[in-house]
Amino acid sequence: MQHIAYISRAVRPLTDEDLHELLTQCRRDNKRHHITGVLFYSHGNIAQLFEGESEAIDPLFGRILRDGRHSHVQKLIDKPIAARSFADWSMAFHPLEPEAFEALQGFLLPHHVPAPPSTLTIADAMLIDLVRLAVFGGATPPQAPAPTAGLDQA
Amino acid sequence: MREHSEQTILRHVPAGVATLQGPELCYGFVNEAMEAVLGGPAPEGVPIAKHPGFLAADLLDVMQRVYQSGRPFIAKAYCLALPGPDSPNRYYDLTLEPFREASEVISGLLLFAVDVTAQEEARQQAHRLEVETRRLDTRLRVLTETVPQITFTVDAKGHYDYVSPQWYYFTGQPPTAAVDAIWPLLIHPDDRLRVLYQAEAARAAGAGWSYEYRLRRHDGQYRWLLSRALPEQLHTPGEPVFWHGALTEIHDQRELTEALRRGEAELRFLADSIPELIWTASAEGFIDYYNRHTSEYTGLTQEELGPTGWVNLLAPKEQAEAARQWVHSMATGEAFEGVFRMRRHDGQYRWHIIRARQLADGQGLRWFGACTDVDDQHRLREVLQTQYNELARTNHDLDTFVYTASHDLRQPLINLRGLFEELARVASFDDPQASSMLQMVEDALAQLELTIQDLAATVQDQRGLSAPAERLDLRSITDEILLGLRMQFVQAGATLEFDLEGAPTLHYGRANLRSILHNLLSNALKFAHPERPAHIRVRSYLQDGQPVLSVQDNGLGMVVPSPNSPGFRPFTRQHTHVPGAGVGMYLVQRILTSRGGHLEVASTLNEGTTFTVHWTAAQPGE
Ligand SMILES: Cc1cc2nc3c(=O)[nH]c(=O)nc-3n(C[C@H](O)[C@H](O)[C@H](O)COP(=O)(O)O)c2cc1C
Repeated sequence: MQHIAYISRAVRPLTDEDLHELLTQCRRDNKRHHITGVLFYSHGNIAQLFEGESEAIDPLFGRILRDGRHSHVQKLIDKPIAARSFADWSMAFHPLEPEAFEALQGFLLPHHVPAPPSTLTIADAMLIDLVRLAVFGGATPPQAPAPTAGLDQA
Repeated sequence: MREHSEQTILRHVPAGVATLQGPELCYGFVNEAMEAVLGGPAPEGVPIAKHPGFLAADLLDVMQRVYQSGRPFIAKAYCLALPGPDSPNRYYDLTLEPFREASEVISGLLLFAVDVTAQEEARQQAHRLEVETRRLDTRLRVLTETVPQITFTVDAKGHYDYVSPQWYYFTGQPPTAAVDAIWPLLIHPDDRLRVLYQAEAARAAGAGWSYEYRLRRHDGQYRWLLSRALPEQLHTPGEPVFWHGALTEIHDQRELTEALRRGEAELRFLADSIPELIWTASAEGFIDYYNRHTSEYTGLTQEELGPTGWVNLLAPKEQAEAARQWVHSMATGEAFEGVFRMRRHDGQYRWHIIRARQLADGQGLRWFGACTDVDDQHRLREVLQTQYNELARTNHDLDTFVYTASHDLRQPLINLRGLFEELARVASFDDPQASSMLQMVEDALAQLELTIQDLAATVQDQRGLSAPAERLDLRSITDEILLGLRMQFVQAGATLEFDLEGAPTLHYGRANLRSILHNLLSNALKFAHPERPAHIRVRSYLQDGQPVLSVQDNGLGMVVPSPNSPGFRPFTRQHTHVPGAGVGMYLVQRILTSRGGHLEVASTLNEGTTFTVHWTAAQPGE
């Protein structure tokens, strides 16, 4: 098991369609490769943490690095972990028309993002808090972990 | 038959042919092509003016003139505006040729129309292109001559085909200067060879270039320039290739980045030589630099620590709070400060103050932090605190012991005194010394009682310092005390003088005031001079608004080590021949200092002593 986190900048702002496409493609492919984690997007700022078997993680990061939709990819952590912390893969952003996304699996509004799972080390949980802050700014404090207890136990 | 076949041919030739007959120019023969020009069949015998089709009036006018003058005329690329919004214009070369009958008199006109629309359009297109090219050319010239850069065009051999005027402005060379020869000479000697080599190599490879070098400005100063050029993209095979490029002055940027680089290097050097943990973080809060001491202390490299790994070094119980505080600082920009235990490479945790502040400058926002090892101070403080607690406890135990002991001693003493009085009353002694010995025993017993009393009073006071203060009348308290000291008073043949008008009352604890007055007055009586009756003067007054009490006697006097700090310690005595435990003055001083007051003493041997009590904190200006 391994996890990687990075931040990056979208080459141009992602539209609702772009985000929708990315969300569905990632949900599909990540399920297939048993990759879990979370992605934050806002105003061109991107941050993502994903975890899984190393055989799946490294090639995915390679694909993401080459993806022309973003640049300035800055890897923050890349290290072996004992166990997964996320139950599935989800994506948090502010669509122009949230109604179209509300029903979608794996979509979260930024202020509904749960606090980092307690299975992460404090350093990694802090890293997630910091990237969330970097992407969304200080206006969306993390949720109390209670409503997503299922996730924490994963 | 022959005429017929000629007519058939004429009818079908691709050029328009028509005959116009008589001065009225009536339609005669009109072939198909001409009908297309005219826009329909032309009725034979009808004057052209009556049925002009698409022909404009000016052409009809010209036809009349040709008919009259007999001189043929060719209208080149004559434009026929066909009706309809979308129909394109068509162009014809129109030939008007007069023809004559046998009489040599002009009898009509021959009209030929050759469609030249395609040629005309091509010509017009070429013209438009030329205008556009000229426009672009002008624009390019204006642009190349107004941008701050020097622009140039150079061929494969290094011959400059074009150099924009900026080159001349920059170098100060006259417009007649031989650019090819002079340019290399203006390059800084240290850069020249490299530049010539790089440019030549790029041209030989057919590639572009981008390099920096110093070029001499008109004022003799060498300035850093960035030279970039690309070979022509659309180049005709066989034609020479040209490189087009620009020179941008980057001197100031280069100096600035150089200064920044130097500044950063100096800062790192400084940080690396400080035996403290020093680090910087990005605006997002990710640590991007740790100094050398950090890796020495932690035993971890920057890679191992990672952007947030520092929090793992803290004592496990402190990590969550430190992380929360750091995220809070990133969200608000507030400085970070805390005291945490941080793990050393050998596993020992040491106390550190961790501080970080943000700096926003032209470079953007960054955080600068330091961890100061305060472990020794921290431990010292802990040791001191433990020792203090121990001392306080010991002190208390001692007080308790003394108090209990004085209590326990008191009862046997009272019994002893009673027994002794009884013994003195009923027993008779033969020894002539007996009565004085009896007196000495009695004195000693009295002395013992007094000492025990004083001891009890001392600890009692120490424990009950917080007795409530109240407004007390000095005179009545003094009278109560004198009642207790009546015996000594009489023995010393003492007289008392009061002067309490200045401050007749005092806000103080009753027991404490009594204790002080008792000690001062009994002292004055105790140390009375054997050769004269004691005279004691008690004064109470205000000095700088603060209450002061003085007790003055005419007794034995003493040696005062320092007038302001007489330093009464328990059980030290000035006059060993006079009975007294020495506890009294110690007690007085303790009570006074615990309330911010102090005691002064002035004394002359064999003349007398004055004790001055300052009840409250030292007056300003003293
Ligand atoms: C910001 C960002 C995050 C992405 N995250 C994932 C991801 O988690 N899983 C995934 O399969 N593809 C992700 N992609 C898409 C990949 O970069 C890539 O487009 C996708 O794997 C298809 O790759 P392929 O076209 O080479 O097959 C992400 C792309 C971007 C721009």
